[in-house]
Amino acid sequence: MVHSFNRRHFLQTGALAGAMATMPGFLNRPAQAQAAALNVFSPLPPDPAPPGAAKFSEEAFAKWQADNGVSVAYETLAWPQLHDRMATAFASGAAPWDITYNCGWVPEFQSFLTPYADNLPKALVDDLPPTSFATTTVDGKRYGAVFTLSLLTLFYNKELMEQAGFKEAPKTWDEFKACAKEMTRDGRYGFVLNYGDPAGIGGTASYWMTFLQQAGGKVYGEDGLPVFKSDEGVAALQMMVDLMPSTDPGSISYAGINDATNVLLAGRAGMMMNWPFMWNAANDPKQSQIVGKLTSSVLPAGPKGSASIDGTDAWTITKASKNQEKAQKLIEFYLDAEVQKRQVLDTGWLPIRLSVLADPEVQAKAPNAAVVLEQAKHPYDSFVTADYNQVTVAIGTEVQKALQGGKTATQAIADAQDAVTAIVKRRG
Amino acid sequence: MITTFEQGRRRTGLFFVAPALMVLAAILFYPIADSILLALQRVQLAGGAVTQEWIGLANFQRLFADAVFWKAALNTAYFSIAEVVLVTLISLGVALLLNHPMGRSGLFRILLIIPWAIAPVANAVLWKWILNANYGVLNGILKSLGAIESYQVWLGTPFSALNFLLAVDVWKSVPFVALLMLAGLQRVPQALYRAAYMDGAGPWQSFLHVTLPTMRGVFAIAIVLQTIWSLRVFDLVFVLTRGGPADATVLLNFLAYRVTFNFLDLGYGSAIANVIFALTFVLAALYVWLLWPREPKGAR
Repeated sequence: MVHSFNRRHFLQTGALAGAMATMPGFLNRPAQAQAAALNVFSPLPPDPAPPGAAKFSEEAFAKWQADNGVSVAYETLAWPQLHDRMATAFASGAAPWDITYNCGWVPEFQSFLTPYADNLPKALVDDLPPTSFATTTVDGKRYGAVFTLSLLTLFYNKELMEQAGFKEAPKTWDEFKACAKEMTRDGRYGFVLNYGDPAGIGGTASYWMTFLQQAGGKVYGEDGLPVFKSDEGVAALQMMVDLMPSTDPGSISYAGINDATNVLLAGRAGMMMNWPFMWNAANDPKQSQIVGKLTSSVLPAGPKGSASIDGTDAWTITKASKNQEKAQKLIEFYLDAEVQKRQVLDTGWLPIRLSVLADPEVQAKAPNAAVVLEQAKHPYDSFVTADYNQVTVAIGTEVQKALQGGKTATQAIADAQDAVTAIVKRRG
Repeated sequence: MITTFEQGRRRTGLFFVAPALMVLAAILFYPIADSILLALQRVQLAGGAVTQEWIGLANFQRLFADAVFWKAALNTAYFSIAEVVLVTLISLGVALLLNHPMGRSGLFRILLIIPWAIAPVANAVLWKWILNANYGVLNGILKSLGAIESYQVWLGTPFSALNFLLAVDVWKSVPFVALLMLAGLQRVPQALYRAAYMDGAGPWQSFLHVTLPTMRGVFAIAIVLQTIWSLRVFDLVFVLTRGGPADATVLLNFLAYRVTFNFLDLGYGSAIANVIFALTFVLAALYVWLLWPREPKGAR
């Protein structure tokens, strides 16, 4: 018998096995009959990621998959690469996902998405801030559900602030400038931010948009054309320019928020605008040298009050998904109250559900949640459009020139408006 | 029909080469042709839909009026010229040291090859930390030596950022070109040096009248290759500066990427990419011409 298994038999057996393995569903057909597969495109932690991609609610996630007969596979990428990966996948008609993360790109990718959020259960929708759908709604249809309340607020080192002679956070632009100036001493700076990358939410242009709204201005008029060449637009940029002597000079080279965050967490700067996730990082001794010294407040008010921008982190379902019903169920699981609670407790990303934000345990663990809720009472428009990246590069580049003293605020804003007008007109 | 043995042999050869030609057509010629076609269209995803519309040479006409394109073109020209000059001169110096009897240890060659062997993105991330304004080792060393009073933002001003990108790319490019030149140096017949010595030439005159003329071909190849590579630089810009500050480090390759994948203006992005392709193609043709085997002058 041993001798009968010669080379010919070996090759025949191998060929047979190979042929069977190439047949669709071989070996795993029974499993496929029972389970649907969902592909989810998500950022890598520490950016906001769902259970299974980030370390929270893992048991509940496993149970949800078993109960619903669904296996979920994640494709995760570093946040800066998400947009371009989605763009190439959608353009080539080869987007393999059922669910995708979105961050202000809903208008851009709208025709590849399905307006599933119109069908979310009423009880869930009633527990979400109505404004959270603003950046995911196109032509009156809701294409996504925001899953974390993510507004820029002011984070500051209260020890450095007290040393500078301030007992509480600055409430106005004038106080902000004075406070930053006083905190700039002993090799430290009053303020730090990442001005290195002009584009997108969290880029240079979006920070200017925050100041713009505080000044009472807006980017677009009713006709869709830019209207920021105004006193408000110039005042917003002038405020950023005025802060520069007290701003860490490295800010102009920091391309990502983490570069600026590291400076604050090392105690080398006193204040910065940041997203709520920073709270956990600042209180983690492995990442921070200012544990217990950081606190947050509503952003200082400009001439027309405080204002912020929205991180717009949302889940969307692709039109090409063959399991749209299951995909919606999975998003509802991501928005489940208990999962939302673990999201903030374990990762620091705030929940979007109002009931979870009001939970005493959540408020104790994330005291900045109350600040973000307070910030949400003020405007927080991110001005997203289908050509948001191009617009923010045009504005952000001019803002950078003004911050470096290459142009006056007035000239930079005028040039930015000309550039954005050309972009909008080309869009048609 | 009668076929000769030679015709049959060629046909068989073509049959065996055909699969490779098909693969080349799929992965090389098709993308090039498609890219040229895209450059003649308005192809956009704006608003979510993929729209395609023939517009002839309008994308190329748009290039002339685009200030960012011209800034990128000027940046690229400066970057390429400076890089070629620096890499060629430094590589020649390194090759001469390695060719010296004291420099012939294999250890030196291993050390030399390290920058070239590091993956491009890893190299960029490495330099991002070296140049960091708060924690960078460059600031630390210079401050400890007393060369600077306070930490500098090396990537903070347009002039400084572009030149540091240049320095980093030179650092990465020198090893390969140095080895290329070392090979060239070792091919210079020793008899020529002996003859020069007999004629009373000193080391400098030997270098000027023997080494340099003999290595003319190697220089030409190194310059053409380095120019092509400098036109391709993307990873450094993407990781270190994202084209900033204020577009100061936007090179043509990065601009093509930004317009195509960030702005989703595929037609215009292809037009920019085709400009780079045309430049590269001319240089590649020059490279092939330099390497083409030819009969020595006066040969019968």
